[in-house]
Amino acid sequence: MKNNKSNLSRRDFFKNGAIIVGGIAVASAITTFDSVLFALEPPKGKGKWYGIGIDINKCIGCGKCANACKLENNVPKEPFYFRSWVEQYTIKNDGTIKVESPNGGIDGFQQSIPDEEIFKSFFVPKMCNHCAKSPCTQVCPVGATFETPEGIVLVDPNYCIGCRYCVQACPYGCRYVHPDTGTVDKCTLCIHRLKKGLQPACFEICPTEARIFGDLNDLESKINYFLKNHTCMVIKPHLNTGSKLFYNALSSEVR
Amino acid sequence: MEPHLQNLYEVLSKVDGYVYPNEIELNWSILIVLYPYITGLVAGAFILASLERIFKLHILKPTYGLALLTAFSFMLVATMPLISHLGKPLRAYEIMITPHSSSAMAIFGFVYLWYLMVVLLLEIWFDYRCDMIIWANETKGFKRFLYRALSLWTTDISPKAVALDNKIGYIITVIGVPSAFLLHGYVGFIFGSIKANPWWSTVLMPVIFLFSAMVSGIALVMFIYIILNKIRKISVDMACLDTIAKYLFYILIIDFTLEGLDQIHRIYEAEESFEVLHMLVFGRLFFTLFIMQGLFGTVIPLITLAILQFYKPKVQIRKIIYFIIATLILIGIFFMRWNVVIGGQLFSKSFYGYTSFKIGLIGAEGYLMAAVWIIVPFLILTFLLWLLPPWKKKEDEIQVI
Amino acid sequence: MPQHLKRLISFFAILLILFLIMRQVLIPKSFGQLGHYRADAISENQVRELHYAGSENCTKCHDSIHIEKDEGYHKQLKCEVCHGPGLKHTQYADKFKDGHLPDSLLLHKPIERKECALCHQKNAARTKILFDTIDNTMIVQIDAMKHKLLNKKTKEEQKCIKCHNPHQP
Ligand code: HEC
Ligand code: HEC
Ligand code: HEC
Ligand code: HEC
Repeated sequence: MKNNKSNLSRRDFFKNGAIIVGGIAVASAITTFDSVLFALEPPKGKGKWYGIGIDINKCIGCGKCANACKLENNVPKEPFYFRSWVEQYTIKNDGTIKVESPNGGIDGFQQSIPDEEIFKSFFVPKMCNHCAKSPCTQVCPVGATFETPEGIVLVDPNYCIGCRYCVQACPYGCRYVHPDTGTVDKCTLCIHRLKKGLQPACFEICPTEARIFGDLNDLESKINYFLKNHTCMVIKPHLNTGSKLFYNALSSEVR
Repeated sequence: MEPHLQNLYEVLSKVDGYVYPNEIELNWSILIVLYPYITGLVAGAFILASLERIFKLHILKPTYGLALLTAFSFMLVATMPLISHLGKPLRAYEIMITPHSSSAMAIFGFVYLWYLMVVLLLEIWFDYRCDMIIWANETKGFKRFLYRALSLWTTDISPKAVALDNKIGYIITVIGVPSAFLLHGYVGFIFGSIKANPWWSTVLMPVIFLFSAMVSGIALVMFIYIILNKIRKISVDMACLDTIAKYLFYILIIDFTLEGLDQIHRIYEAEESFEVLHMLVFGRLFFTLFIMQGLFGTVIPLITLAILQFYKPKVQIRKIIYFIIATLILIGIFFMRWNVVIGGQLFSKSFYGYTSFKIGLIGAEGYLMAAVWIIVPFLILTFLLWLLPPWKKKEDEIQVI
Repeated sequence: MPQHLKRLISFFAILLILFLIMRQVLIPKSFGQLGHYRADAISENQVRELHYAGSENCTKCHDSIHIEKDEGYHKQLKCEVCHGPGLKHTQYADKFKDGHLPDSLLLHKPIERKECALCHQKNAARTKILFDTIDNTMIVQIDAMKHKLLNKKTKEEQKCIKCHNPHQP
């Protein structure tokens, strides 16, 4: 009996040992998959954390921002490549919605629907949302697109393989493949200008100051003033992209 | 003007409604249609082979080796369309050295390697090692060297070693089946996990991809088997073909049900994107979805196979029917991939309009390039059949286990 | 262990070791310092060429225009909205003592009707009928196809700047 008992306890010992070892193995296996739990990551950054505000009420649709973006960043002139563009939404009295963006708004807008038929009409400037949980950085297979500690989503043109997975993953259509380099290109929030203490080109140029950007971590910043005093909304909130581009007076038609 | 840009201007004039300006260009074109298609063929062919080995369906024996070699030769090219469509193909190695763990595509690199190196290569190696040693002694010159090198200069063909080979081969097949599921499920996940795209983003995507993969792989083996026997001028093993057709029928039913379920779910839930997808399906995708994939790729084969379960015409006619069905299914599944990949990019993520698809004949992403990647696996297969003819294998081995 | 298994395992081991060595060699230096990316990419993105100078820069040399503009309706418009990117101009303009700049340094002057129309062309979206609470942003619109299009006497098309001073409209 005695013998038997000691046998049992030894078996117990092995059993418990196996459970502990197995548990550790499983736990460590799971932690390596931490990054799969992508959207759970808390917002990064303790220093600057950039956010953008656009006031749709103020936009006059001159398209100068789209133009300035192309000139500043050497974006191809063809109407298929944009880091920043302007859309005109026109809701007709019968409820139908017409959206247009001829050449991204650079050449100006011609009103295509007579005044009597229009219920309302407005311009929506679009650009990269610099999402905190951006679907595009999530899917990059090699880590060639990423979010900087300051909350700017960048592409590493020297490392991008041009698989275009991120282009598919961006819900806002803000990425394109540069025809000359074969790598993905997108808004950098003019990080090269920020470094020199200047504003990004589209913010610099806006004639009505419809665009605001600033540090979301700084409660005194322009962007936080803007967010506090307007009812702001992001586009496609249901996708939980952690978008940091906030629109004032965003209509539900905008997608 | 560059032809690429010229194409885009033409597409621009065909845009319907509003698409984001960057969406005018379709980023994934015919090559990315081929990629899941070819991977699917691999997974399907392998699963057919494993039916024989694991479930001991010895009636499928004549296609076992063929299915394995088919899977292998298609696997070798599976990533080529993907790599050749990259903007920077020479940087493709980065996927292996710095894989991003949250990206489905990065993990795919490893799933692929695992499947190619560990499952397919090893299974074939253990399967043929003994034969290669024997063949090396029977041949001369370069072929002899090839056999030697491929068998890693081993010489042990004692019954014990052969039995061990068989045992390991069996284990690998057992590992291989979930791996094949993983492989193709993963390809489905690459699309299914894109939440921005409502046409792709569905949990059923991996499962649908898996079953359509099985369907296409089985059809491919059937297709190659019939052609091969025609070339070798020997008669087809009809019992084997009938069994394959039976399995094809079952899996086609599952595939059809799953895809139907997916669509019904979409229609019933009718989310924000419903209208744009509805118009897409009845507009730009009508031909490829309803005619090519639905009618020719699914309904006709399904009905024919169902009839053949009860009524069996003469061997010669049956063979022709099987051949036609296999071809139809291969085309149908190709268009299934087409509808997923191209269809998912034809509508705007703003849900306000559609762009259209246009590529040229030549160029890195043209039809010719695509044709190359379809033909190359057949060339590889021809070479492999010359090097490792399954019909010349010593018979008794596989029964050992 | 049978000989052929040993061979096979060493074959795979060699492949694995080769892969690991390759990996060590090929991974870029700054990879992984800040996250799963090349940390150097941030500074590389920062060193691109600038084109827009920023409006404060123009005042140095064109003070009079600045003052002029500040009194008119175009007060909030930055110089570069109309004149285009001017960094090169600001950097090199004073190198030419006689004040005659080479063409490449001269800035665009938006004298065409359509260039003013970009902002002033009548458009339903510019009237902000529904949002007139914020009226300081209401932009005055004209119909560029009608507003003083032709000269009464010569019947020629008239430029906007003939009657409006662009800096003080
Ligand atoms: C370093 C001094 C300097 C700065 C800074 C400067 N300019 Fe000039 N600018 C000049 C000089 C010199 C001329 C040539 C004098 C002339 O032709 O009247 C000139 C001419 C011009 C002209 C007329 C060109 C023409 O075709 O006649 C424009 C427009 C102009 N500047 C715009 C700008 C703008 C906009 C900025 C700010 C981004 C700016 N300048 C900053 C020195 C400067
Ligand atoms: C509304 C658009 C607009 C803005 C804003 C604007 N300009 Fe001009 N500017 C013009 C036009 C149009 C002309 C051409 C006038 C002409 O040829 O008579 C011009 C001409 C000039 C000239 C040449 C003067 C001459 O008489 O030839 C200078 C210098 C100049 N601008 C500088 C500036 C500076 C500096 C600013 C910013 C403080 C500025 N402009 C803002 C539209 C603008
Ligand atoms: C980038 C946009 C933009 C361009 C280009 C532009 N303007 Fe303006 N304009 C404005 C804004 C903004 C106002 C100010 C509206 C306000 O504050 O009430 C304005 C005001 C005016 C006014 C005053 C209207 C009034 O009585 O209140 C006139 C006149 C005018 N612009 C003429 C011109 C002419 C002529 C040109 C072409 C050289 C031109 N603008 C180019 C944006 C522009
Ligand atoms: C023949 C001279 C002349 C030309 C050319 C001209 N304008 Fe005017 N514009 C005027 C006068 C005079 C007024 C003020 C009286 C009025 O409202 O008709 C005026 C008024 C305006 C106003 C203010 C309208 C308002 O309701 O207060 C704007 C804006 C304007 N012009 C823009 C332009 C633009 C843009 C162009 C070129 C496309 C242009 N103008 C060409 C003479 C001219």
